[in-house]
Amino acid sequence: MKISINWINDYVDLSGIEPDELIKRFNLSTAEIEDVEYKGKNIQNVVFGKVIKVENHPNSDHLHILSVDVSSEVLQIVCGAPNVREGMVTAVCLTGGSVLAGKIKPTKLAGVESNGMCCSEAELGIGSDDDGIMDILEPVTIGQNIKEVWPVDDIVLEIDNKSITNRPDLWGHYGIAREFSAIFNRPLKQMPVCDLSKYNNLNQISISIETENCYRYSAISVDNISVKKSPRDMAIRLNYSGMRDINLLADLTNYVMLDLGLPMHAFDNKIVNGIRVCEADGNISMTTLEGEAHTPPKGATLICDINGDPVAIAGIKGGLKSGISDETNSVLFEAAVFDSENVRKTSRAIGLITDSSQRYEKSLDPELTFQALSRIVYLLNNIDNDIRVSSSLSDSYNKKYPQIVIDLKPEFISKIVGCEISKEFVIKTLKALEFGVEEDGEILKVTVPTFRATKDVSIKEDLVEEVARLYGYDNIEPKPLAFDVEPQKVIQSIEYEYDTKFLLAEKYGANEIHSYLWNYEDFNKQNKIETKSYVSLLDSSNAGQSGIRSELIPTLLRCLDENKNSFENIRVFEIGRVCSGLDSENMCIENKKLAIVFASQKKSEFELFTELKTAIIDIAKNIMGIDVYLEKGETVPYLHPVNSFRVISRTADYGYMGVLHPEVKKSIDKRFNVVALEIDYEKLANTIAYTKKIKSVSKYQSVNIDYNLLVPLEMTYEELQKALYKFKSKILVGYSLVDIYENAQSLKDKKSVTLRFQLCSNDHTLSGEEIEKFRSDFVEYTTKNKLELRG
Amino acid sequence: MEINNINETEKNFDEDAKSVKDITSLEEVRVKYLGKKGFIADIMSKFREVPQELKKEFGQKVNALKSKIENSIEEIKLNLAKKQIEFEIKNTRMFDYSLPVDTNTGSLNPRTIIQKQVVDIFKNMGFVVEDGNEIETEYNNFESVNVPKNHPARDLQDTFWLSNGELLKTQTSAAQNRILRTYGPVCKVIFPGRVFRNEALDARHENTFFQLEGVVVGENVTVANLIYFEKAMLKALFKKDIEVRLRPGFFPFTEPSYEMDAKCPFCSGKGCHTCGNSGWLELCPCGMIHPNVLKMGGIDPEKYNGFAFGLGFDRLVMIRTNLDDIRYLNSNNLKVMSQFKTRM
Repeated sequence: MKISINWINDYVDLSGIEPDELIKRFNLSTAEIEDVEYKGKNIQNVVFGKVIKVENHPNSDHLHILSVDVSSEVLQIVCGAPNVREGMVTAVCLTGGSVLAGKIKPTKLAGVESNGMCCSEAELGIGSDDDGIMDILEPVTIGQNIKEVWPVDDIVLEIDNKSITNRPDLWGHYGIAREFSAIFNRPLKQMPVCDLSKYNNLNQISISIETENCYRYSAISVDNISVKKSPRDMAIRLNYSGMRDINLLADLTNYVMLDLGLPMHAFDNKIVNGIRVCEADGNISMTTLEGEAHTPPKGATLICDINGDPVAIAGIKGGLKSGISDETNSVLFEAAVFDSENVRKTSRAIGLITDSSQRYEKSLDPELTFQALSRIVYLLNNIDNDIRVSSSLSDSYNKKYPQIVIDLKPEFISKIVGCEISKEFVIKTLKALEFGVEEDGEILKVTVPTFRATKDVSIKEDLVEEVARLYGYDNIEPKPLAFDVEPQKVIQSIEYEYDTKFLLAEKYGANEIHSYLWNYEDFNKQNKIETKSYVSLLDSSNAGQSGIRSELIPTLLRCLDENKNSFENIRVFEIGRVCSGLDSENMCIENKKLAIVFASQKKSEFELFTELKTAIIDIAKNIMGIDVYLEKGETVPYLHPVNSFRVISRTADYGYMGVLHPEVKKSIDKRFNVVALEIDYEKLANTIAYTKKIKSVSKYQSVNIDYNLLVPLEMTYEELQKALYKFKSKILVGYSLVDIYENAQSLKDKKSVTLRFQLCSNDHTLSGEEIEKFRSDFVEYTTKNKLELRG
Repeated sequence: MEINNINETEKNFDEDAKSVKDITSLEEVRVKYLGKKGFIADIMSKFREVPQELKKEFGQKVNALKSKIENSIEEIKLNLAKKQIEFEIKNTRMFDYSLPVDTNTGSLNPRTIIQKQVVDIFKNMGFVVEDGNEIETEYNNFESVNVPKNHPARDLQDTFWLSNGELLKTQTSAAQNRILRTYGPVCKVIFPGRVFRNEALDARHENTFFQLEGVVVGENVTVANLIYFEKAMLKALFKKDIEVRLRPGFFPFTEPSYEMDAKCPFCSGKGCHTCGNSGWLELCPCGMIHPNVLKMGGIDPEKYNGFAFGLGFDRLVMIRTNLDDIRYLNSNNLKVMSQFKTRM
């Protein structure tokens, strides 16, 4: 919202305060100023001039050569405006002066000398009309600087609308002036109005409110209006505040809105002479002032005439038929308050957000309607002396906000703010903001003014804010919190999460990604990835992205797909949340999962598989202290039916890993071998870790013996371990895998597994006989168990 | 005659020694003189034939010659080895020490790196670090933080509603109620999290982004405490003293509410690209927790109070990384994302 400082000065005298100080204090105490415009700064040496002669330009069919009287001299000015005529009074920028576009110098236009420039409103920034040069009809003195007559110089503050959404009182200049008055401790002047009680004996306008969504509707009618155009100073203020001047009656309603924050409307009294405020049935259509047809939804509030024909969408826009035209000389002024929620819903539903609807959404004060009508009649009467008020001030007050009185102990403010604020300051500040304050012993009875009582201020904490913001936050000395030596709880799974991410990135060279919470249905379908979704977004801006994911691997595969042409090796992971089902009350079951995808054009599936298996065992063992291993079992349809496995520990099943299903692999990119893993991260991180024990190390020399066992190709290491499980020897510390050798020619359907057996004793050096005994025992065991020893 | 023989042998050795060029010819010389069938052995074999009176002299001379030859061979050997090393050094080709290497380091999303740093700061300040769901109930997201039904904030926040009536949380505050119930009434807790708003994407807007929020509840917590705390936090975050200013703000869950601006640490308030020439960064919405929020969290607002604060986390990440488009943070663009590595 734009605020004119000239306008503010009508209500509070800010003279002597530097603009920077105004802005700074307002920013810190009230709301954010986003921008400041110094109006008139670039308008220099512009005077009133009279066109005394208009001649055609010899070298141009649209330029004219003017002789312009500016009192001190008669200037020759070349001008291209179509509306120029002899005898016309206009604004002239003298050479050496400037307009918005820049400095004006003596120049030649199409070969003819030109000393100065005749200006349009737009060129001076005081209006929007740029069709021709100003045609000044009001009496002015030729040669006088326009700034001596018109308020061209002004400072306009642009306030961030978001920062005043909770302050309906700040949507007009008077409310802003009240803030400045409180901030700078300068008196707030009364707003000049007309006493309307003298018309009480005139006829009432019939007003009937037929909906709960109208708090109050007040109206008055005025006849015999002859002035059509707004005075210049009013037009300039409207333009500086971001509105255009249209015609006197429309301008007046806008002016009062910018004054008081309460939108107003003017109906042509010949068409509308009584009011019914009704609820729309969802079928009635109305054409607005702009000529657009709208059908307000059922429940929207409509202003109708006596016959029930809609003449305005309440609080949003007036209708075309009842609008002000050039012929209008008799009006009905509306000042009303509608329900904020109802206006907001209607405005969204019909896609029409106006200066008016924006204000109604903030919950306006119904007490303002009389002031608004008294103000508009006062302003109109000042402009047009011949008007005649033709009705009494008519009113229907349907719903009142309750009066709010808050009991406040002044020391409560100091207690919350954390510094000493005197009772005198509290009272003075609240009174400056027009709160009623009565002392009742220890307690202050604070009456909230009606313009703050619609939703903004209701509890004593609200009063803390009022006082503290005017006390000045920069006057509060920061203080540390009371010291506290209790050690804080550490949530292990959160710590593990960082460790896991760092391990995967630093040791396994993987890249972390953050993907969206929803499935990419087209991608999944196209690549034959079957994944479930238990719940979906009601309103997703992107088609095919509404199902909430239940797994992470599909989103990582999409990442692979998007990067497959840029890299030969892709290793990505994510720790993210999914919805893995619904509980008995239809609520989402949310899990935090870890997924990893390793893909390579160089490495075999088995190599990648081994790396991935190493990574998950590493995470589980070295971060969380849990031994995990793989077991054959059901996984997911997009993994290889043979080479996919469950990831389990002795106590729990965490998820699965495996090679990508050949069909999915070929669909994404056949060049890449891909392995993927997905586990329930929180389950793993919350598994109780074993206590690590350090094994005692023998001080005696140990002996290693390698054996090559010839076993069937399909025999797993796990099966081999089982086959060796029953072999016992006192001096055997353990064995480890050295190598697996396959050769289709020499070994056919067998493979040679080299195991290294470590022999040692805790209390003596092994003797040759002991080692020999081990050898013969082992050979005997293998023979008995049909294990073939090779070489 | 044998004595002469010794002298002769010595002379011969001196000549042979001079002609040694490498370790092979040295070995040949060694065998020739010191070998089992070498000259020394040959001379020694004639010891019996030496007359008794000359035996002593003969013995001494032979031994002297033998050790001279041994020493000489050892010396030549050392010389040869030295020469060999000199030769090797001379013939060494210098490495191309400038070849690129690959540390094979992956990358973390910059949010993770910065979140870890921020979380560590809070842990040092004695905060518990919590976590929260992404799918929330309407109650937790709105009612419990004092945003009643029909409140415009519910419109402004463009909520992603779910088919089962739940929603994707629009603010980390959705976890406040649970956290107050778990840790209150005296606590210091932060809860970073991912939040969602149903809005169109551009370089500055995402529908999925990160926030960090914290609460401090106790007896006699004040606005002065809040200001002190925010200054301390920003000092740790930017590793220098930061001037802050508090402006009135409006959030339904706090009363009074503030916007905390930090004087731009990059231009010291002169105005730059990062702060949009305003000299201030709007980073931390905050305020004293609304009594209704405390009440709904099971805490007596007459006895306890506290403050809550947020941190525009993705904005901080963009400032620290110089990323000019927020959409990268949720993207699959490994060309960009893999540059972040794991530390910052």
